[in-house]
Amino acid sequence: MAEMLKLGLILMLVALAAAVALGLVNSRTAPIIALQKEMEKQNAMREVAMSLSPGDSLAFDSISVEGLGNPFASVDNTLEIVRVSVPPDTSRIGYLFIAYGKGYSSTIQTMVAADLTGSVSSSAILYQQETPGLGANVAAPSKLIENYSGRSAEGILLSKDGGGIDAITGCTITSRAVTNSVREGLLAMGDAGLFRTAPVIAEEIPAHQDSCDSEEGAVVSVDGPAGEGGME
Amino acid sequence: MSLVKDLTNGIYRENPIFKLALGMCPFLAVTTSVENAIGMGAAATFVLICSNFLVSLLRNLIPSKVRIPCYIVIIATFVTLVDMIMNAYVPDLHRALGIFIPLIVVNCIILGRAEGFANRHPVLNSVADAVGMGIGFTLAMILLASFRELLGNGTWLNINVLGPGYRNQPLLIAILAPGAFILLGFILGFFNILEKRRGGGQR
Repeated sequence: MAEMLKLGLILMLVALAAAVALGLVNSRTAPIIALQKEMEKQNAMREVAMSLSPGDSLAFDSISVEGLGNPFASVDNTLEIVRVSVPPDTSRIGYLFIAYGKGYSSTIQTMVAADLTGSVSSSAILYQQETPGLGANVAAPSKLIENYSGRSAEGILLSKDGGGIDAITGCTITSRAVTNSVREGLLAMGDAGLFRTAPVIAEEIPAHQDSCDSEEGAVVSVDGPAGEGGME
Repeated sequence: MSLVKDLTNGIYRENPIFKLALGMCPFLAVTTSVENAIGMGAAATFVLICSNFLVSLLRNLIPSKVRIPCYIVIIATFVTLVDMIMNAYVPDLHRALGIFIPLIVVNCIILGRAEGFANRHPVLNSVADAVGMGIGFTLAMILLASFRELLGNGTWLNINVLGPGYRNQPLLIAILAPGAFILLGFILGFFNILEKRRGGGQR
């Protein structure tokens, strides 16, 4: 019995020392980490929003749209939406939002800039912890997310699901998570009436040759990857 | 003299991957590119040195009946500390290595060396062993990652080696999980042949 108590006490001491060390370091580093996260987010906002109006300095103001449900959204299940405008003029030129997609081993956060018609102008991965060398490649530019640009919600669908976006080879789960989260976000915003006109496929397609019609996408999806591979 | 022996022990004679077959999970998961292999190797080596140091220091204080839980607490604490400190003060390095840090907790090389070496040897020898094991682990990862990146992506350390013709149709299986097992099998076989040629019969 005494032996048991002694062992328990030693274990407790080790755990206590570990807890104290962790607590001390955490109290020191947590504010710094939070500050850096916030700065990173601000930088990402500026970078992604740049595509809406190149060369202008932009102003951001958060708007909250009640009941804008998104199955992939953050904790409180509302979409974080930021309105973008060019300072002297207060009228908005577009929106930023963060899409949350449940990937293979993490919840991937994608920041998306959409113009007033609901078509994506730029996007960037803010956070992901996917498999290094495979799913983590979503964060590499031009692999997946650059294909969203110029498309509206209907066009942002994987080739395998009948859309025109090619998944990264070997990481369908990650590609699908990101693509679907971006589409869900855009759809939710469209439903809430944030876009000037409902995103119409026919309007978006002619400007971008590489995006084949969504309806026909499923049929020609066999040619899709080969054609794009040849271009690179 | 024995310090040098402890240091070189982990690099070839008791290489954690090829001879002890420890730490297979991160080894197979992360060797998709040489860059990742170096990152994971560096992070694991650092934690290995810290944990070997502390376990060796406390080896006479911790009763053997509760040593395993104590080691686990020590290792997990170090991994978390490294994660937090890197995140706060070297965010760029953390962004590059961040994904590997949680994987270190499940790296049994670290627990294996704490249990198999550090708890019976002086501090200096334990650190030497950790450095050697870390180098051996890193080199083994670079070896497999070189094959996988070269065959699966046509590059080595992000440098285009095999040209765009190959990169359009690479041997994709090399970078996927089955490729890791297949190539590991070839490498282990090669080392066994080498061992036999050398006179063998050591076991």
